[in-house]
Amino acid sequence: MTNDRRLLKSKIKSPKNPFSNFESQKILGQFLVIVTPFLFILIWHLIAAGTTPLILPGPKDVFMRLFSYFVSGRVWPHLFMTTQEILAGFVLGSVLGLGFGTLISESVIARKVIMPYIIVTQALPKFALAPMLVIWFGFGMAPKVIIAALIAFFPLVENTYMGLTTTPGSQLELFRALRASRITTLLKLRVPHAIPAIFSGFRVALMLSLVGAVVAEYVGANQGLGALIIVSQGTLDTELMFVSFVVLTVLGLSLDWLYGLVYKAVLVKLYGKSISNISSSTSRLSV
Amino acid sequence: MVGRSGCGKSTLLRCIGGLIAPTTGSIKISGQIVTEPHPQIGYVFQQPVLLPWRTVEANVSLPFEVKGKPTKEEKNKVKKVLEIVGLSDYAKHRPGELSGGMQQRVSVSRSLVTEPSILLMDEPFGALDAQTREDMNVELLRIWEVAKTTIVFVTHDIGEALFLSDRVVIMSARPGKIDDIIEVNSPRPRSFDQVENDPEFWKMRQRIRKALH
Repeated sequence: MTNDRRLLKSKIKSPKNPFSNFESQKILGQFLVIVTPFLFILIWHLIAAGTTPLILPGPKDVFMRLFSYFVSGRVWPHLFMTTQEILAGFVLGSVLGLGFGTLISESVIARKVIMPYIIVTQALPKFALAPMLVIWFGFGMAPKVIIAALIAFFPLVENTYMGLTTTPGSQLELFRALRASRITTLLKLRVPHAIPAIFSGFRVALMLSLVGAVVAEYVGANQGLGALIIVSQGTLDTELMFVSFVVLTVLGLSLDWLYGLVYKAVLVKLYGKSISNISSSTSRLSV
Repeated sequence: MVGRSGCGKSTLLRCIGGLIAPTTGSIKISGQIVTEPHPQIGYVFQQPVLLPWRTVEANVSLPFEVKGKPTKEEKNKVKKVLEIVGLSDYAKHRPGELSGGMQQRVSVSRSLVTEPSILLMDEPFGALDAQTREDMNVELLRIWEVAKTTIVFVTHDIGEALFLSDRVVIMSARPGKIDDIIEVNSPRPRSFDQVENDPEFWKMRQRIRKALH
């Protein structure tokens, strides 16, 4: 017995702690997360030093300008407008996407009739529609919301459909054996099963709404971060353009972070606290 | 029901359960032809088939919930059945936190909670290790002594069949047909030791083995 054990010990020459490698990886990862942005800014600074501010303004100038833009309060109307457009477009697109996604997953006929039109709305270059929408709806929010909704809608149709139609056969059979009605099967089985897929659709839709709103602003807007970019292009104010980029980036990151919070809350509600490892792997950006 | 895999045991069970229609012939339960899942039938599948987002308790009360909001009486039934299978302490856990044997016990409770007059079990313990499987068999008999439900149990394990059954039906493949029916008259409670070593059981075991070949 003791011999066996000694043999076993000599055979397994494992490192002191099998997880030590994992631990150091983790520390390295955290280190890189913190260092990378600084590295990026440093490279930006070095390149900017070799060019004129018209081509590439340095990070210091951009952040000073950004600061003064916030202090003077001039950024708020633009930020507020764009955020409103993104959220309105996202909500509209999501509601339509969820609706159509559910419809085409419930009925084969609906799928055959509707699907070509959904594909058409996606094949069509939506940004090419923007000038027409401006003619129809003017320079206000409406055209931007419509463009944002049009692109946000597709990932939701697709993910809702995918989520609702991939319920495991065994679970469907269980519901059949329990004599569950179609609507009960949808609400108590297929929808909860589809939640992760639908949420990853929400995430893509949210980011696409941002792109849609900003690009639609390029075509014609009085206010908004996209309009600001166009104005700064017209006046060759590259610094202001970069300010807009930074604000847009932070806006995008904040929206994704908010998404992550909501998703996590929903997962905890569905699966209980033990699900935390799943939520962190599905929303990578929002740790 | 014993038989080699692919001989149609599960298919027959699913026909009885009303999940699929037989190609020819018909199935009657107390004189009534089965065309859809019968309300008095409970089904236990090969896999536990639990909904991972529901707690153990919520999984067990699913048969009530598909018909509407569970009544107080039904909620008590859920509690009671979880007590019987020894899972009261895990009522609030999610299936992902349980072992395979515990998951299958949840699955069994879900089919018992409606107090069905017939329980169809399709190799319910096939995926479990030998020891857990024996424990589950003992437990199943204990529950059966209380509930006195008719159980149709599919397995490919001869020992399991002999330990549990009053009657063992032997099926063979292509075409799926019933070869033999053996009455197991040995008194209960039985033990696994008895099933393995008792000459009476030994004879039955040989008969089944021969029929399967």
